Amino acid sequence: MLSLFVSIPFLSLIVFNIPGKHSTRLALFWSAFLFIAQSALALLFSTGIINPVARQLSRIFIFKLSLDPLSLLLLLSIGVAAFAALLAGNNLFREKSQKSNFINLLMVAVIGMNATVLAADLFSVYIFMEIVAVSSFVLISIQKDRLALEGAFKYMVMSSIATCLMLVSIALIILVCGDTDFGVVASGLCAQSGNPIVKLAIGLFLCGLFIKSGLVPFHGWLPDAYSAAPSAVSVLLAGIITKVTGVYVLMRLVISVFGINPAIQNLLMLAGAVSIAFGALAALTQHDFKRMLAYSSISQVGYIILGLGCATPLAIAGAAFHFFNHTIFKTLLFINAAAVEKQAGSIHMDNLGGLSEKMPVTGATSVIALLSTAGIPPLAGFWSKLIIIMALWSAGNFAYAYIAVIFSVVTLAYFLSMQRRVFFGKLALSLESVKEAGAGITIPAALLAGITVAAGVGFFWVLDKLILPIQEILR
Amino acid sequence: MAMEILLLLGLLAAALWTVMTTRLLRSVVGLALTSAVLSIIIFRLNSPVAAVFELSVCAGLIPVIFITTISFTQRIAKSQIQERRRERFIRFFLLPVIVVVAGLALLRWLKIPALMLPAAAGETDVRLLLWNVRHLDLLGQIVILLAGAFAVVILFKEPRK
Amino acid sequence: MKLLLLPVLLPVVFALAALVTPAAWRRAREALSILAVAINLACAIALFKADAVFQMPWLGFGMEFKLRIYQFSGFILLAAAFFAACVCVYSLSFMREKPAHKQFYSYLLITLGLTSGAVLADNLILMLFFWEGLLLTLFGMIAIGNKSAFKTATKAFIIVGISDLCLMAGIGLTGYLAGTLNISQISLPITKLGGIAFILLMIGAIAKAGAMPFHSWIPDAANDAPLPFMAFLPASLEKLLGIYFLARISLDMFKLNPASSLSMLLMVIGCVTILLAVMMALIQKDYKRLLSYHAISQVGYMILGIGTCVPAGIIGGLFHMINHALYKSCLFLTGGSVEKQAGTTNLEKLGGLGLKMPVTFICFIIAAASISGVPPFNGFFSKELVYDGALERGVIFYLAALVGSFLTAASFLKLGHAAFLGKISSENNNVKESSWPMLAPMVTIAGVCVLFGLYNRLPLETLIQPVLGAEKLGGHVFYGMPSNVMLIVMTIVVLIAALINHVIGVKIGGSGLKAVDHIHYSPVLIGVYDRAEKRMFDPYDIGLKLAVAGSQALWRVDRAIDWVYDGLIVKVAHFSSLRLRQFQSGYYAVYVFWAILASVAAVIFLLKQ
Repeated sequence: MLSLFVSIPFLSLIVFNIPGKHSTRLALFWSAFLFIAQSALALLFSTGIINPVARQLSRIFIFKLSLDPLSLLLLLSIGVAAFAALLAGNNLFREKSQKSNFINLLMVAVIGMNATVLAADLFSVYIFMEIVAVSSFVLISIQKDRLALEGAFKYMVMSSIATCLMLVSIALIILVCGDTDFGVVASGLCAQSGNPIVKLAIGLFLCGLFIKSGLVPFHGWLPDAYSAAPSAVSVLLAGIITKVTGVYVLMRLVISVFGINPAIQNLLMLAGAVSIAFGALAALTQHDFKRMLAYSSISQVGYIILGLGCATPLAIAGAAFHFFNHTIFKTLLFINAAAVEKQAGSIHMDNLGGLSEKMPVTGATSVIALLSTAGIPPLAGFWSKLIIIMALWSAGNFAYAYIAVIFSVVTLAYFLSMQRRVFFGKLALSLESVKEAGAGITIPAALLAGITVAAGVGFFWVLDKLILPIQEILR
Repeated sequence: MAMEILLLLGLLAAALWTVMTTRLLRSVVGLALTSAVLSIIIFRLNSPVAAVFELSVCAGLIPVIFITTISFTQRIAKSQIQERRRERFIRFFLLPVIVVVAGLALLRWLKIPALMLPAAAGETDVRLLLWNVRHLDLLGQIVILLAGAFAVVILFKEPRK
Repeated sequence: MKLLLLPVLLPVVFALAALVTPAAWRRAREALSILAVAINLACAIALFKADAVFQMPWLGFGMEFKLRIYQFSGFILLAAAFFAACVCVYSLSFMREKPAHKQFYSYLLITLGLTSGAVLADNLILMLFFWEGLLLTLFGMIAIGNKSAFKTATKAFIIVGISDLCLMAGIGLTGYLAGTLNISQISLPITKLGGIAFILLMIGAIAKAGAMPFHSWIPDAANDAPLPFMAFLPASLEKLLGIYFLARISLDMFKLNPASSLSMLLMVIGCVTILLAVMMALIQKDYKRLLSYHAISQVGYMILGIGTCVPAGIIGGLFHMINHALYKSCLFLTGGSVEKQAGTTNLEKLGGLGLKMPVTFICFIIAAASISGVPPFNGFFSKELVYDGALERGVIFYLAALVGSFLTAASFLKLGHAAFLGKISSENNNVKESSWPMLAPMVTIAGVCVLFGLYNRLPLETLIQPVLGAEKLGGHVFYGMPSNVMLIVMTIVVLIAALINHVIGVKIGGSGLKAVDHIHYSPVLIGVYDRAEKRMFDPYDIGLKLAVAGSQALWRVDRAIDWVYDGLIVKVAHFSSLRLRQFQSGYYAVYVFWAILASVAAVIFLLKQ
C-alpha cells in the first residue's frame, strides 16, 4: 500500500514520457487526480478508516517503507501543495512544452518527496533528497533566464555542500553502526553517544540539513532562489520542497534517529531563534514581494525548529502543526504573488497598490494567509504558534518564548505593510486595466484559504486526528 | 600509512589544480587525475567494485562529456583572464586555506577530543546489497537519471525557430 | 449547561450571516443584527442569576474549554448585552447611509460574542483566545472609519497588541506558578515572581480599559472611527472587560492586600490617569475628542478604587465602572446625534443646539451631571465611595481625585455651554432633533443613570456587593446616601467652585470678545490669556495658567509616549533590517563562507558538550 505512494507516480512519469503523441491535458488531469487522491488517502489513514487494510497490504509489498502520523501529515501537505502548484503552473506557463516539462519535473519531485517521507533508511532518505534537489535545480532554471540560472546555481552550490556534509556523516555512521536503517542507527548511536565520532557525524548531518532548510546563517541561497524562480516553481519550492528536504528530515532524524539531548536541543533552539529574528527583520525592508516572502519563510521555519528544539511532546506537536500550516499559508502567499506578477506585470511593491479592488480573490486570500502567518486567532497559524510558545514556557525556555512572541508582532508589521503596499491603498494609474487571475490561480488560492480557516476553526479536530498522534513517535 | 598520506596529498593537489587553473581543458584533466588518485585509494581500501566504477565513470565518461561541451565554448579577452585569476585565487585558494587553518587553530584551542575510528563492519557483496537490500535506492537512482535527462533536455535544447 | 455557549456563538453566527449578505441589503442586515442583540439580551437576562459551568475537551495540557457563569460574570454579561443592544438600535439610524455598513454590523456582533466569551471563560488560555480576537475587531472597526483611520487602527493595534503580549507572558507565568490555568482554581500569594505575574496581567487589564500610558489611540480613534464604535468599545465594553479582569486578578487570583506595594502602584496609576487625562480634556476643541479624554480619565477612578483594596474603594470602583459605561456611552451617543444633525463635532462651529435638539440636550445634561458627580445622579454615589476608599489610604489620593473632579466638572460646563447654549450659527439654523432610533437608546441609558442614582440600592445590592461577598463586606452596606458628610460637602464645594469658575470665565472672556462664538468654545482659556495681560499676579489666574501650562506640558509627554509607539519602535526595526540586508550580498562564495563557518561552530559546539 505504502509503496503505491512512490510507484504510481513513478509509473505515471514513465507513461507521460513514452515517445509518440501525448496530451498534456491528460497528464495534467491525471496528476491532479493523483495529488488529490494522495491527500485524501493521508486524511483517511489519519482518521483510522482504512488503517487495518493498509497494514495487511504493506506486508505484501517489498519496499522497506514505514508510516507513522508524522509521515501522514507530510503526505497530506505534499498532496495539497503539489496540487496547488500544478494548477498554478498550468496557468502560468504559456508554452505547451514548458507545461509538460513542468508536470514531469513536478512528478519527479513528488516521487522524491513521498519516498523521503516514507523511507526508514538514512541512505535512502539521502538519495531521495537528492532527487528532489536535482528536480528543483532544473525547475528553477526552467525558463532559462539569467537571474533564475544564477539562483539555481547558488542553490546547487550550497546544496552540494550539504550533500557532502551528509554523505560524510552517513559514512561515519556506517562505520559506527554498520547499517543505515533508522532503528539500527538509533540504537547504535544511543549506545555510543559519548563517542566524539558520533557527535561529529550528528553535527555534520545537522549542518547539511540546516543548509537544506535555509536556517540563518546557512540561508544565503534561499532568497535568491525563491525570488528568481518562475512563480509556479517558487510556490512549490517555498511551499513544500525545502520544507520536506530540510525541515521534515531534520525533525525525523532528530526525533527518531539521533535522539534528543541537551546539546542538540540548544543548537536547534539557537538556530531557530536566530532565523526567526533575522528573517523577520530582513523581511521588513524588502521591496520585492517574493523576496519578502522568502525571508518570511526563513522566519517561519525558525518557529518550527524552535519547537523541535524544545522537544517536549507538546512542542513537537506544535512544530508539526506549524509545519502543516506553513505549507498551506506560504503556498497560498506565493500563489498570490504569482497572480500579482502575472496580472500586474511587476512584483516590486512600490509599483503596486490598490490591487484588492481589481483582484478581490487574491486580495482576500492574501489577508487570510498573512493573518494566519502572523498568528492571529482563530486562524490555524495562531494555534500552532500558541502551542509552540506554551511549550517553550512550560519547558522553562522563557527567553525563546519572548523572542517567538515579539517577532510574531514584527511578522504582522511586515505583512501589513505588504498588504497595504500591494492590495490596499490607492490604485496606481498604470494598473487600471488589471483583472483577476484565471481559475487556475484563484481555485487553489480559495482552497488553501479555506483550509487555513477550517483548520483554525476546527483546530481541535485537526489537533486530535492529525497532530497529537505525532507525539507517539517520541516513544 | 605513509602511502595513504602521500596519496591523499596527491588528491588534494590534483583537486586544487582543478579549481585553480584558468583553462577549462586543464581543469578537466585535473578532475580526471583526481578521480584516478581516488580510485587508487579505494582500491587500496579493498573495495574493487567501487574503484572500478569511480575510474570508469568519473575518470572516463564524465571528462569525455566535459570536453565535448568545452569544444563549443569561446575564449575570453586577455584582460579578463588576469582579473578572474585573482578572484579565483581568493575564492578557491585563500578561503579554503583560511577556513582550514582557522578550524585547526580552533581544534587546538578548544581541545577537541581525538576521534577514534571503530573497526570496519563486515563486507557484503555489492550485487547482493543492490538487488536484495537496496531496491528502493535503485528506484531512486533510476529517477535521478531521469531527472538528469530532463535537465539536459530542458536546459540544452534550443527551441526551433 | 449548554446555554452558556449561546452568548458566545450566536452573535458570531449572526455576524457571519451579516457578512455574506449582499452589500445593498441594508435592511436585512439591520434586522439580523437587532435580532441577534435582542436574543443575546434575553439570554443574558435568563442567565443572570445562574451559577453554572460548561466544559468540553479542548487542547489538552491544562487548556480546557471551560465557561463559568456566576454572579460577577453574569452581571458583566448582562451589561455588555445591554450596551450592544443600545448601540445597535442607535446605529440603525446613524450608520444607515455610511459606507462599510456590512463590516460595521458584523464586527459589532463578533465583538459582542468575543466579549461574552472573554467574560465567561474560566480558563486563562480560552480567555486569551477571545481577548486577542477582540484585537482584530478593534482594528477592523477603527479601520472602516474615515481616510486616516487605517493609521489610527494600526496604532491601536500596536499599542493594544504590546499590552496583550504582556498579558500573554503574565498568563504563562501565572500558569507556571499556579500549576493550573483554570481561573477559579488559581489563588496565588504576591511573592517576587507572583508580583511580576500580577503586574503583567494588570498591564493587559488596564490597557484594555484604556488607562495611561496605553491610552493614546483612543483620542485618535474618536476622530477617525465611526462614532457608535466609541460608545461601544472605549466607552463601555472595554471598560467592563478591563475592569472586570482587573477585579478578578486582584480579588480572586491574587490576594492583593492594602499593605502591598502593588496596591500603591495601582493607586498611583489611577491618580496619574485621572489628572493627566482630564487636563488634556480641558484644552480639547472637539466634542468627541474631549469625551474620549474623559473616557481615559474616568478609568483612573476605577483603578484607584480597586487599588485601595478596602471594601468601600472596591465597591466604588466597580460601581463607577458600570456608571461610567452608562453615562459615557450616553455622552458619545449625544455626540453622534450632534454629528449626524449638525454635520460636525467641532465646537467652534457648534452652539445653541439646546433648543433645536431638546431631547439630546436633556440626555447630555443628565449624563454630564453624572460624570461630574452631581448629586443625586449615579456618578455622584460611585465617586463618593471611591473618595471614601482613597481617604482611608491617604489624603493625597483623595485630593488628586477631587482635583480631577473639579476639572471634569469645568470641562463639561464648557462643553455643554459651547455646544448647546449660546448663539446658534447661521449654518445650524435648520438643525432638527434626531430620529427615534437614535433618541431611544440615549433616553434609556439616561434613564438608567437617574435610576442608579436615585435608587442606588438596586445596583449596589444586586450587582456590586455580591462580588465582594458577605465575608469581606463585614456587614457594611454601601447604598443610600454616603455616610461621611464631610465628603459630600467637599464635593458640593468643588462643584460650586467649578460653576463659579465657569461663570467668571465666560464673563471675562465675554468682555474680551472679538467674535461671539469665540467665547463659547473655550471660555476658560480665553479668560486665562485675557487676564494674563492685565492682572498678572492674580493667584486664581496663575493657578489656571499653571493648569493650562501643565496640560500643555502633558500634551508633550503624551506626544512623547506617542512617539515611542509611532516612531522609535518602527525606526529601530527599520534600521536593523537595513543592516541585515547587507549580509545578502549576492555572492555565493560569501554564502558558502558563512555556511562553512557556522558548520564549524556547530560541530565544535556539539563536540564540546
